[in-house]
Amino acid sequence: MEKTHKWRWGKNRWIVLALLILTIIAVNIYAPIQPHIQAAAENLSSEPIFTLPVIGDFYLTNTLVATILMDVVIIIIALIVRRAAKKDELAPKGLAGVFEMLVEMLYNMTESTAGKWTKKIFPWFATVLILVLFANLLKLIPGFETIGLLHHSAEGYEAQSLGGNWYTILNSKAEEGGFMVTPFLRGVSTDINFTLALAIIAVTMTQVIGFQANGFRYLEKFFNFRTIFKKPVFGLIDVFVGLLELISEFSKILSFTFRLFGNMFAGMVLMALVAAMLPVFMPAGIMLFELFIGVIQAYVFGMLTMVFMAQATQGHSVEEEHSNA
Amino acid sequence: MSGDIIEAAKFIGAGLAMIGALGAGIGIGLSVQGAVQGMARNPDTYGNLFTSMILGVAFSEAIAIYCLVIAFLMLFVL
Repeated sequence: MEKTHKWRWGKNRWIVLALLILTIIAVNIYAPIQPHIQAAAENLSSEPIFTLPVIGDFYLTNTLVATILMDVVIIIIALIVRRAAKKDELAPKGLAGVFEMLVEMLYNMTESTAGKWTKKIFPWFATVLILVLFANLLKLIPGFETIGLLHHSAEGYEAQSLGGNWYTILNSKAEEGGFMVTPFLRGVSTDINFTLALAIIAVTMTQVIGFQANGFRYLEKFFNFRTIFKKPVFGLIDVFVGLLELISEFSKILSFTFRLFGNMFAGMVLMALVAAMLPVFMPAGIMLFELFIGVIQAYVFGMLTMVFMAQATQGHSVEEEHSNA
Repeated sequence: MSGDIIEAAKFIGAGLAMIGALGAGIGIGLSVQGAVQGMARNPDTYGNLFTSMILGVAFSEAIAIYCLVIAFLMLFVL
């Protein structure tokens, strides 16, 4: 028998109302402040963890902590799905079922674009998409970007003890020696190092897959001197187009990096400003919008990786045209 | 005094940088318009059109994001 669930507004609306009233009370007791915003990730440790000779000091940043947390979450989910997959059920339940649906959808998408190179391209596509998806959805954790270490700052706020070693920041500018919060966790995608690393991996693997598919003929896409002796004018145009292709490969890294970073960082800034100006109910709506943006950006990042890889596997189109003519 | 002028110039520059979002907005609107018209005429092509639309929107959006990054650079880094 199939059971039909009826959505019960009766109970839920009182919970929403209670939460709203709780927010109003909380905002009146501890008014939110406008946090300090900086583009680079904040350091949690004052001393560098280790130092490399040429590159420099490595600090424990809050995005690094969030990255480790994200990795742990992904590994745990992978183990759960693996255990469910080992049972060899026809229809896995719960989390494993969700991931089967997701992976099947992604695989079909790859197959319709990449054709026979699906098995090569799919792992990169799915890895990038799931990684960015989890990186963007991680901000659902309560206390994200709000709980952290107190540190002295020139333009700080006054702090009040909550008992023990816990303090809260008050919405009044300190005369001198104020405090600011360095959050323990900050969105992974708001660190440009993460997005740049992911972009370099995606574009490099695109070239590798291109070489695997076409051999050294793949380079003809960029350095096309084949037609320049037969038809000088059109050959010159071909050479120029090849150079443009070469430049566009490098600009792919830039656009990958700044698309994800810009979207997520803009979301963080918007969230901080709205939470300081309209603290009741409005941040929830912005948060919903930000989650939507996060999912869309994960989709776009993975999709573009997949499409670029599929394009790299296809041979140079001039040959087919010449053989037809 | 000179510090104040630099501060003001940062904000003006960040505002001016975001003018570039105008073109990206028009571009995204046009591409979504084309895709939705295509979907309305031939609903079977929904999947293909949606994928292409998302890709096109992502490319045009990247331009607006460059402007946003420049604005952020002026506001928070420089």
